[in-house]
Amino acid sequence: MLALFRKPSEDVSSGSRIDLSLPIESAPYVVMDTELTGLQYRADSIVSIGAMKMTGSRIELNRTFYEVVRPRTELTSKSIVVHEITPSEAAMRPGIETILEGFLRFCEGAVIVGHFISLDLKFLSKEIKKAGFGQLKNPAVDTCMVHDWLLGQGNGFSSNYLGRMESKDLFSLARKFEVPVQGAHNALIDAYITAQIFQRFIVMLKKYGVRTLRDLLRIGKP
Amino acid sequence: MLIDEVIEFLGSVPPFQFLDGDALKSIAQNISMDFYPKGLVILKQNDPASEHLRIIKKGGVKVFMESESGEEIVIDYRGEGDTFGFLSLIGKDKVRASIMAVDDTICYLLDKEHAVKLMNTYPVFTEYFLKSHLTKYIDRTYSEMHNKSMFFGGSDRILFTSRVADIAIKDIVAVHEDATIQEAAHVMAYHKVSSLVIYDSNNFPVGIVTDRDLREKVVAKGRNVSDPVKNIMSLPLIRVDANDYCFEAVLKMIKHNIHHVLVVRDGILRGVITNHDLMLLQGTSPLSFAKDIENQHSLDGLAPLSDKLNRIIGLLLKEGAKASNITKIISELNDRLVKKVLEIAEKKYGAPPVPYCWIAYGSEGRKEQTFKTDQDNAIIYADPATPEQAEAAKRYFAEFSVFVRDGLVKCGFPPCEANFMASNPQWCQPLSVWKKYFLNWITMPNPEALLKSLILFDFRGLYGTLGLAAELREYLIRNLKDQNLFLAMMASVIMKNRPPLGFFKSFVVEKDGDHKDELNLKIRGIGPLVDIIRFFALESGVHETSSLERLQAMKETHPIVIELGEEIEQAFEFITLLRIHHQLDQMEKKEPLDNFINPSMLSNLEKKSLKESFQLILKIQDAITELYKAGMVAG
Repeated sequence: MLALFRKPSEDVSSGSRIDLSLPIESAPYVVMDTELTGLQYRADSIVSIGAMKMTGSRIELNRTFYEVVRPRTELTSKSIVVHEITPSEAAMRPGIETILEGFLRFCEGAVIVGHFISLDLKFLSKEIKKAGFGQLKNPAVDTCMVHDWLLGQGNGFSSNYLGRMESKDLFSLARKFEVPVQGAHNALIDAYITAQIFQRFIVMLKKYGVRTLRDLLRIGKP
Repeated sequence: MLIDEVIEFLGSVPPFQFLDGDALKSIAQNISMDFYPKGLVILKQNDPASEHLRIIKKGGVKVFMESESGEEIVIDYRGEGDTFGFLSLIGKDKVRASIMAVDDTICYLLDKEHAVKLMNTYPVFTEYFLKSHLTKYIDRTYSEMHNKSMFFGGSDRILFTSRVADIAIKDIVAVHEDATIQEAAHVMAYHKVSSLVIYDSNNFPVGIVTDRDLREKVVAKGRNVSDPVKNIMSLPLIRVDANDYCFEAVLKMIKHNIHHVLVVRDGILRGVITNHDLMLLQGTSPLSFAKDIENQHSLDGLAPLSDKLNRIIGLLLKEGAKASNITKIISELNDRLVKKVLEIAEKKYGAPPVPYCWIAYGSEGRKEQTFKTDQDNAIIYADPATPEQAEAAKRYFAEFSVFVRDGLVKCGFPPCEANFMASNPQWCQPLSVWKKYFLNWITMPNPEALLKSLILFDFRGLYGTLGLAAELREYLIRNLKDQNLFLAMMASVIMKNRPPLGFFKSFVVEKDGDHKDELNLKIRGIGPLVDIIRFFALESGVHETSSLERLQAMKETHPIVIELGEEIEQAFEFITLLRIHHQLDQMEKKEPLDNFINPSMLSNLEKKSLKESFQLILKIQDAITELYKAGMVAG
């Protein structure tokens, strides 16, 4: 219904965008995570994409996206340890360009949410551009930034959750908010963990006057 | 892979665990998950019907309704693995009860369409929900929403809580299908039954013949009684499962316009349930019991009734009555028994020389009796005008009280071991002596005086000239004013009974003896609460004796009650209910009753509530200690 990304070939951009006045507890989100061969923008590439839809704080376990792709660059042993995708597994997969369209469709009409999402978006945009899909137009929210903002909201949040400065990585946050964590990093599982953390944030944010998507983007846009 | 987690979870909780793998998988593929912070109202009574069935993955919720008078009635607490939203899902109109998260709660949500599909495909699914939720709603709705007394009316509810097997498993009277009508009638007359099962040659029941069939199909029609009985039997056979609730039997009787339903268990015919059985069942209600008491005129008639009382309590519990309602009913029925015994005594000994009031104290005085209740009673009589009258009164009440004590023993109230009974001359005194007792205890508090005041100060007039008890209460309140030393000493006594701190971490429970590793709910839980509430009541000059009524009376005046009254009330209700349930279990297993529970047998939610109750008690005890520090040093 909403064109959030533009295909230069068939310009479907209707100009309609996500309604930013939607209340955060009923807005559509796609929570996503990617696994990478490494963190270097030039030298590394995407291995897998995991994502799931949320409507407000409701995680739609049945509406998920998960694809492993053949990375453009070589899988390093360092990254293999993290996500447990072996080179031979990855080699059998299609290239990212074949799944990208499906993923973009999955994201249609939703706010993209992720932990340190700017990194994922950077790699994703590179591929979108390469594949000739223009650019990703969806608004995005970084759960790490939302967390930082909540920490800054004084006693309520920090006294409840011992908001002393601690690690901000996904698993640390998961522990802090009692979200169960198990096994290796996997894009879908990590997206799921992120979704569960975001679920709790939505509730807290309302308490601090963050009501609409516009408010949310103001504090969480990467 | 996320689905697997859902399947694994659902596979471990009823009713989903009854479903096969494919069904579970199809549920899991249609599930979403939501998070509700503690305190959030998830569903609100009278809102549009819920679109989802919710299964609690983590946390817990409270199900409650608001009565017409705006009072909150807690229907249920649900914990991990439990579900909610079912009734509004099938009810289709609006939400019946509000649901609030009592903890940070995560739920799986199954949308309406799939939930309904499941119900239609798997009867076991629907059945489970109906049994576990619906009856609770019906009971609570009837008894509390419309403020109907549990005591009068509402005996219908028993139909929802008794199983067919409880009343209708008995020998079956049957004949072969080749028997004649006359032979069949003969068998029925011989066994004095109103229905007869007809078997075929394979020993399968094929029909039933009832009095009505004989009347309508034989006598009225002038049919030949040597015809085969199978010509007049009723078909098809309407049956209920022995495990069904009696209510279902009633439904079938109404639906098929019959008065006899076959009872089947494991596919085998086990009995016949009749409308007469159901009528008798409804006779087991508190109301009919109260009538029973009224109709007795001798101790021998009264004595057998006390057994029946315990049965009624069991039924009330199964109906899910609130603890405070149950203890109220027990007390009310016990009061009636006692009054009846007193009436019988008065008849035997003639009118008393001076007016008197029979008082009860201890748990009886607080109207907080459970199953096992010792006698705690006394007599206050009006001050005699002359020495002769004094002598006459003394003689009269001495005999009278012994007769009542023995009568009560006969009716199932064991005598008080510490001899706190009217039959003890110390507790059978004129009003002026009682006043002296109380004044002495208050002004010269020593450990013995304090102990006596803890017991006696919960007195209430039960029978006779209640004005005497009221006057003594006034006197007590007047003389307690500004008696800080007494209050401080009392505070120090009740502070000694601390609930087990760290109960759930280290399981600090009874250290040895028969009840090693168990917790005495009466002494460690109810006791401290009752003591605290009594203390506040004495401090504030409140007339009431029941703990909950005392709280009610102080809720706008006593600083601690203003702040924590509601929590105290909930803790009190909760521990009382645990205790009653425990005793009912024991009673059903024919074990001797006690107050010891094993914490490992409690559900997570129960443990949590108990822990919170203990924390509350400690908090209040600390607050009292703070206020009365000086006095305690003196004590």
